[in-house]
Amino acid sequence: MMQMLAAGGLPVLHDGLRAADEDNPRGYFEWERIRSLPRDPGCIAEAEGKAVKVISPLLRFLPADRNYKVVFLRRPLAEVAASQSAMIARRKTTAPPGDRNAIVASLGAHLNEVTAWLTGQAHLEVCWVDHASLMIDARRQARMIADFLAGASAAMLDVDAMAKQVVPSLHRQRSG
Amino acid sequence: MAPRLAKKVLLIGWDAADWKLINPLLDSGKMPFLESVVSGGVMGNLTTLRPILSPLLWNSISTGKRADKHGILDFFEPDPHIGGIRPVSSTSRKVKAIWNILTQRGFHTHVVGWFAGHPAEPINGVCVSPLYPIPLSASPTPWPLPEGSVHPASLRETFAALRVHPAELTAEELLPFVPRAAEVDQKNDRALESLAKVLAECCSIHNAATWILENREWDFLAVFYNAIDHFCHRFMPYYPPAMPGVSERDFEIYKDVVPSAYRLQDLLLGRLLALAGPDTTVMIVSDHGFHSDDLRPRNIVKEPAGNTAWHRPIGIVCLKGPGIRKDERVYGTTLLDIAPTLLTLFGLPVGQDMDGRLMTQALENPVQPDSIPSWEDEPGECGMHPAALRVDPAAAQAVLQQFVALGYMEPPGEDRDRAVASVLREHKYNLARVYLESLRPAEALPLLEQLSRDNPDQLRFALELARCYLALGRLNDAREVLLARAEQGSQPWADWLLGVTYSEQGDNEMAMPHLLQAEKANPRLPDLHLRIAATYRQMSRLTDARRAYQRALELDGDNPTAFVGLAMISLAERRYREAAEQALVAVGLDHYMPLAHYLLGVALARLRQFDRSVIAFETALSILPGYLKAHRWLATIHSRPGGDPIKAAAHRSAAEELRRQRLAQGVR
Repeated sequence: MMQMLAAGGLPVLHDGLRAADEDNPRGYFEWERIRSLPRDPGCIAEAEGKAVKVISPLLRFLPADRNYKVVFLRRPLAEVAASQSAMIARRKTTAPPGDRNAIVASLGAHLNEVTAWLTGQAHLEVCWVDHASLMIDARRQARMIADFLAGASAAMLDVDAMAKQVVPSLHRQRSG
Repeated sequence: MAPRLAKKVLLIGWDAADWKLINPLLDSGKMPFLESVVSGGVMGNLTTLRPILSPLLWNSISTGKRADKHGILDFFEPDPHIGGIRPVSSTSRKVKAIWNILTQRGFHTHVVGWFAGHPAEPINGVCVSPLYPIPLSASPTPWPLPEGSVHPASLRETFAALRVHPAELTAEELLPFVPRAAEVDQKNDRALESLAKVLAECCSIHNAATWILENREWDFLAVFYNAIDHFCHRFMPYYPPAMPGVSERDFEIYKDVVPSAYRLQDLLLGRLLALAGPDTTVMIVSDHGFHSDDLRPRNIVKEPAGNTAWHRPIGIVCLKGPGIRKDERVYGTTLLDIAPTLLTLFGLPVGQDMDGRLMTQALENPVQPDSIPSWEDEPGECGMHPAALRVDPAAAQAVLQQFVALGYMEPPGEDRDRAVASVLREHKYNLARVYLESLRPAEALPLLEQLSRDNPDQLRFALELARCYLALGRLNDAREVLLARAEQGSQPWADWLLGVTYSEQGDNEMAMPHLLQAEKANPRLPDLHLRIAATYRQMSRLTDARRAYQRALELDGDNPTAFVGLAMISLAERRYREAAEQALVAVGLDHYMPLAHYLLGVALARLRQFDRSVIAFETALSILPGYLKAHRWLATIHSRPGGDPIKAAAHRSAAEELRRQRLAQGVR
């Protein structure tokens, strides 16, 4: 998604600290400081007018005195869990106890909660993007995102350039 | 369909209120408003549940269900959003509380300050969370109201203005509690500060409740005050007689705080009663009592919730209103019975999945309550938080851990991680204790085995595991756990349970040295003396048994079990008059003891007072219908010349049927 937004012409806030690796060979568009959002919510000021990658548990720490457009990418939870497990194994960090099914259930509960919470937040406008739909019809999804973000950047995003960034071969953690 | 008995119901929670403290105040006319409820209605003990932890208990009161069902398992829970921990919240309650059921049925329903009530629930009325009165700032300006503490949100400003900040209290308001406040060295003694905080929070809660009564249509209002509990935890050591270690000067300064707290609560009750009006049904309950005598704990174990050692397992209940008996006592009520009783008062069915039952003794006319399988399955808006917001804190914690492991979030920090681990451990431990308390040791076992294995340094887990093995009849496993602990010098608890284990195995000779060793380690445990006494009695050492029962009574003069034991000894020694007197004291202390009524019946029969003896046996049977020996005695008494042969035959037949059933079940 970050590749899409950058290719479309939206300025992206990232620090380049996390290098491309086996999990993400095209690199990470991450901004390290966002990890500290709960204790330093003011850091988001640096992202004014830009796109920044924010994981769902951190959304509620975005200060409510600003308005945000959130592109929320949804993916089958079994795929998310599989992808995360693989990344954790390679990072050699400690995963929470419990089997894959438990993690999927926990992620599902979390997603429900975030979804419910988002509906009541006046400062957060959300565009829900379905990952599978993106793989099938990237241009249509790119158009939807560009329309949603119209006005957030100086110019309308380049939909074709966005769509070209979608590479189904990188979609490796399939469910089922 | 059961009739609706109550027009309106006012449910008042007084955390930790105890008849032991209230009775002298009632007798001296110092709690006139409570007196009006007691004399115009019913009163009785409210038996608590274990573990005696207020969040679990108040949610059992409001749901009629044990903690394994309602899901509130501790004071804290993992914070699902930021890591670390937070006070246990209303989104963690898994089932409907009474106010949700009433909302579902269209009643105007209001709740103020209930334990684990934050964020405020979207019920059909006003809901004020327990975070509402907390003074988050040092001064009242500014004093932001916590998000989510008032429903509906349109009333936030109104309720914010009703709060009292500790800094707003003046000396005049504190002097009734501490008349010699001027002598307090406030640089080194923060007691007045604590007192002001509790008092201010109490006033804020009260203001919210009275505003609702004055300004809103209402059918049900539940209001929870924690002032008595908080005052007791801080000032009970000064309550006369002062505990060892309290200086004479401090005793003189603070000795009146606890009684004053009760009198304050009574004054507030007076205001609530006046606003509610005479046709309102009023119920006052506490979740547990508070030790105020020789049983006040002298050494608090340094473990989570260790200060619950102060909690006495008997709370209070009183109820007044249309259809309620007047100036009567009720017996055998547990806090699980409150929600089913409230539903019946509103003419609503009781959920069959509720663990309590209707307080039938409280009603003027018998009512057969309707029932439904479960209120949880009843469709309709009930004012709970949306399902998506009712997160399982443990699952949410797993998601946070996952994102931290992925490098997307900062770790909450070692302190927070430790706090989360500690809270999750307490949840597991408390759940295991709930299972044990409700006679489900098989469900407790895997939790306790894991806790014991993961935390070999924590004696409490090993002891609870041993209790679990005992309950499962795995006596050798229990003994193995306990012997290891006894060798580590973990008296008296390990020795006490070892004694119980040997006794259960029928080896009282082995049991007794361990029990006596436990007594030597801590001679101030009434229940231990009762166990020693019972073991001596089984060994036919009646003189020793009597001495042990008397020792228990020296520590707890209101212990009915000790009087029952003494009555058994007196009967065995054929001192029937003494036995009758001791059994009478026991039933006076706890009416809901079928054995005490039975012993009274036996003693009276031996004294040839057959009419009174029949009443005692029949009372035992009303409490425990399957009491085989009581049937036998009644059959014998009614068979006497001039007796009632029809009743004799009925009791003989009942006894025979019970005997057959027991044989079929393998019970001798």
